[in-house]
Amino acid sequence: MNQEDKLKILKDILLKDEHEYALSIEHKLKKLEDLINKQNNLSKHIDPILEEKLDEFIKEMPKTLGPTITETLKAEIKNSQDAVVEALYPIMGKMIKKYIQKEIQILSENINKKVNNSFSFESLFRKFKSKKTGVSEADLILQEQLKPKIEQIMVIESGSGIIVSEYSKTQNLDQDTVAGMLTAIKSFAEDAFTTEAQNLEYIEYENYHIHLQNFSNYYIAVAVSGAFTATFRSRLEDKLLDFAQNIINKTDLNNSDTFSTKLKAYFENENI
Amino acid sequence: MKISKKIVLIGHFGVGKSSLIRRFVENTFSEDYKVTIGVHVLKKEITIPKTNDDITLVIWDLEGNDDITNTRPSYLIGTSGFLYVFDMTRPTTYENLEFDLNYIKERYPNIPMKIIGNKKDLVTNDFIKQNKDVFGRFVDFYTSAKSGKNVEEVFYNLAQTLLKEAKK
Repeated sequence: MNQEDKLKILKDILLKDEHEYALSIEHKLKKLEDLINKQNNLSKHIDPILEEKLDEFIKEMPKTLGPTITETLKAEIKNSQDAVVEALYPIMGKMIKKYIQKEIQILSENINKKVNNSFSFESLFRKFKSKKTGVSEADLILQEQLKPKIEQIMVIESGSGIIVSEYSKTQNLDQDTVAGMLTAIKSFAEDAFTTEAQNLEYIEYENYHIHLQNFSNYYIAVAVSGAFTATFRSRLEDKLLDFAQNIINKTDLNNSDTFSTKLKAYFENENI
Repeated sequence: MKISKKIVLIGHFGVGKSSLIRRFVENTFSEDYKVTIGVHVLKKEITIPKTNDDITLVIWDLEGNDDITNTRPSYLIGTSGFLYVFDMTRPTTYENLEFDLNYIKERYPNIPMKIIGNKKDLVTNDFIKQNKDVFGRFVDFYTSAKSGKNVEEVFYNLAQTLLKEAKK
């Protein structure tokens, strides 16, 4: 063994740890190099993290970006009102036009039906009326189309809003809830005007006019469609007063079945 | 013959009146708090199991009021039964309980009333025991609109009382 060999052995003994450490670093570096170089390997590790972050971002987006987007849109609409109107006008116009066309079509069909049915008693009467009054038959038909029509009558206990009796040709409302809400609205309105003892007598809701006739223990709500004229209102009031005074009595209020029978009999074929 | 009765729920803001009604009528619950403005009317038809009697409860959900004297009297006319609701987690909603109950009893002496401690899911039985001076004296039912605990019982109990009154 020469000097050089002895030195090599000594070197190996003294630098054993450093050598192992250098080897492990080299190994790790190689692994990292492989990971970076091979795209598949890299995406395998990064994709789940990205997906998780993306999901989180989508979930949080309404909260984080929502207010900003809303504000931006609001500001944009406010600053460019003309542009918005320009964009919406054709759409709205088309919708309104379509609706009017449909309504006119229905009206026209109804008028045609009436004109074609020229041998009915109703038609003869109209012809006679037209000649007598000088109003054209077409105008009379149009007037008939707009004629007010009673859709529903509800007799409601004052205060409690409990329905005593109801009559309608087509039942499509939850009477108990409607009666309760009508009473609540009535109570609120009457409470708000405390200067005099006043009653709420009329509510307008879209195409319906709700006439409220007040009595001491109950009130009658009549939902009317069509043209609710002052003449019709006056006639309706007379009818309701007549019904209250001459048709029903106090005991009927406690018997909803009897009340309903009388209400139906009185208003079923009633032309006001 | 159909029997309908008006029930009114009163109490402070946010005690859970609307939630109790929604749980009873629709069997639903929402954590989102929507304040009641004015009044909201709902109804439920029920049958009392023991007697087989049918009754329609027309339930008036009044807007909450921290001062009972500010409640609109016109909303209370014609009421057949009251449900006074307070929130067990908020002392301000029951610190004037005695005054509030007396206020109603004086003005509507013969109308049945049930007192409800709501939000039972948020308090422990020990908490109820600790506050027995207030709760024990007045409360008829501890309810939770969230879990549904005792909600049906409250309305059925009041309905039974109302039917008994109607038969007298």
